[in-house]
This record gives sequence, structure tokens and C-alpha cells, in this order.
Amino acid sequence: MKAPSVPPPRPRIRYVNPRFQGPAVLAFAAIIVTGGAIFWKLVDREFQQVFLHAAIQGHYEFDSAYDIVRDLLAWHLASLFVGVFLTGSVLILLLVAATRHGIGKTVDSLRRSADGDLSTSTGTGFIGEFDRFGEKIDAARSDTLASVLKIRGDAAALAASGISPEEFRLRWDELKHRIRRIAP
Amino acid sequence: MSGPEAAGDVPLIHRRYVIGLLLRLFVNFAGGVGILFVILYFALSRPLPGDYAGVFHALRNLSPFFRAILSVSVLLYALLACGSTSALCVYILHKVAGPLHRMDLILDQYRSGAHTRTVSFRHDDQLQPLAKTFNLWIGTLHRDRHRWLSTMMDAERHCLQDEATCRAEMEEALREVAGDMARYR
Repeated sequence: MKAPSVPPPRPRIRYVNPRFQGPAVLAFAAIIVTGGAIFWKLVDREFQQVFLHAAIQGHYEFDSAYDIVRDLLAWHLASLFVGVFLTGSVLILLLVAATRHGIGKTVDSLRRSADGDLSTSTGTGFIGEFDRFGEKIDAARSDTLASVLKIRGDAAALAASGISPEEFRLRWDELKHRIRRIAP
Repeated sequence: MSGPEAAGDVPLIHRRYVIGLLLRLFVNFAGGVGILFVILYFALSRPLPGDYAGVFHALRNLSPFFRAILSVSVLLYALLACGSTSALCVYILHKVAGPLHRMDLILDQYRSGAHTRTVSFRHDDQLQPLAKTFNLWIGTLHRDRHRWLSTMMDAERHCLQDEATCRAEMEEALREVAGDMARYR
């Protein structure tokens, strides 16, 4: 009986990259905590005054404390929401712009590499994770360039050398082996 | 130069992804503020005592009670909003972090000298041009390597003839390969 074919293992999905998502989470947390602190401060101060004013006013035309502060509470909650959402949106747009800039530089660098330019630095910009990634791309390009230049120099030297056929053949085979190891 | 988005006209980050992210953020923060409202509503909507003095004292004594309620509700809001936003960041931003991690692994593999395959990301991942241009570069290297080896093997065929022709053809092949490699700088 034919054994059922086993599907190839899917690449593991990694959801968390602390160097990339960590600062974003911290920035959002700072926005939320700041918004909450400002809300707490304003609401506490204003509601204390409103309750005191309502108590000494004498005309109690309300059933609960909520009736006294309904509009003020709605206003502060709306302000909290708009403030936090707008700041969060700006953060998102900055993050997207930084990603487009950083990875865009890497894409340009890889395209230049395909045209043979392996030495111009990627220069990814100001987000640490993209900078590290750009350096890694540069290291791979640099390794490739070093390897190609070494082979090129050795090939030119071997072509110009007047060494014995046995020696020539040995170095020829070694050169072929090294060429095979470029982007294996 | 046309920028990264010219690679097959695929943007690095899709507009729909950004809009989706903003919408989720909207819902997330609206939910947080909604919870804050519900807590404050239930704390403040208790009916005041019916008589005049009772209402007066209740309102005068509301301040310390309200401050505690406000502190707890804002703390709860901050915790819930931070928690859900963190989950949102992990869930949404992994479509950027995932491809970067995958490219990291491929680059490690490439530098270690292991066999380098073409890269492909999940269809809903962002940064697709990164995979395309990496594949373009690796593809160019593979083609060049194949051409250099072909040139050398063509020269080796002349070794079936006499030794001098073989040597001359091999030296010519080496010069050709070295000249071809000069485009790498």
C-alpha cells in the first residue's frame, strides 16, 4: 500500500520581534498612560469643583451625580479618545514612513547589487532594527564582493603565470571550486 | 531611479494594511474609552438620597469616593488599552517583522555558505519587494556563476586537442572570466 505523502514542513511563523515591535508597544503604552494621566488630572479637578458647586447651589434638579457631570464627562472622554487616537495614528504613520524609508533603502541596495554594485553602503536610517538589517545585507554583499574580487585577481594572475601544467591544472580546479561557492 | 515601489509595482507597505491598522486602533481605543465610561457611569449614576440634607451631604462627601473610583477606572483603562494595543502591535506588525525575520535567516544561510534558495513571503505579508530584489540579486549571481563555469568548461574541451591549445584556451577563459567579474565593484 502506498504511504500517504507527507506535506513539506511550513516555515515557522515568528510573531514577535522584540527589537521591532517592542519599541512600538512601549510608545503606544506611553501615549495611553499620558492620555490617562491628563484625563485623571483634569476630570478630578473639574468634577470636584462641579460637585462642590452643585452642593452649595441648593436647587437639586438631578437624580444622580452622573446627571450633574454628564456633558463634562462626555467631553473629557471624547477628548481622551481623540487625543490618544490621533497621537497613536501619527505614531503609526511615522512607523510606516520609517519602514518604507529603511526597507526602501535596502531594496535599492539589493537592486544596485544585481547591477554589480556591492560596495555602496545601504544606509537604512534611524530605526535600530532596520539599521541592523541593512548592516546584515551589507555584510552579505561585502562577503560576495570580497570573494569575487579574490577570484578575479587569482584568475588574472593564473592567466598571466607561466607555471607548470600540473600546477596550473591544480589552481584551475581550485578556482572552479571557489566559483561554485559563490551564492551556492 | 524610481524608488523601491517600482519593483513590479508592488508597494512595500500596502495602503489597505495601514488603513486596517488605523481602523483597529480606532476600535481598540474606542473600546477602552467605552469601558472607562461604563465604570464611571455605574459609579456616578447611583441615585442620590431623596431629602435636601441627604443630597447636600452626598455631594459634599462624593469627592474622596470619586477620586478613588476615578483612579481605579483610569488605571483599568490604561491596563486594558495597553494590553489590547500590545496584542494589536504583535498581531499586525508581525506582517512586517515576519518577513524581516525570514530574510535574517536567509542571509545567515547565505553567509554560512549553505545553498541559497529564492525567498518568498506569505501572500499577506508586507515588504514583498524585498524578497523580489533579493531574488533578483541572487538570480544574477547564479547566472553569472553559471556563465563563468561554462566559459571554463568550454576551455577544458580543448584539452582533448594538444597541450598548447588547451593551455592557451584556458588562459583566454581566465582572462574572460576576470574581465566579466570586473563589473562587480
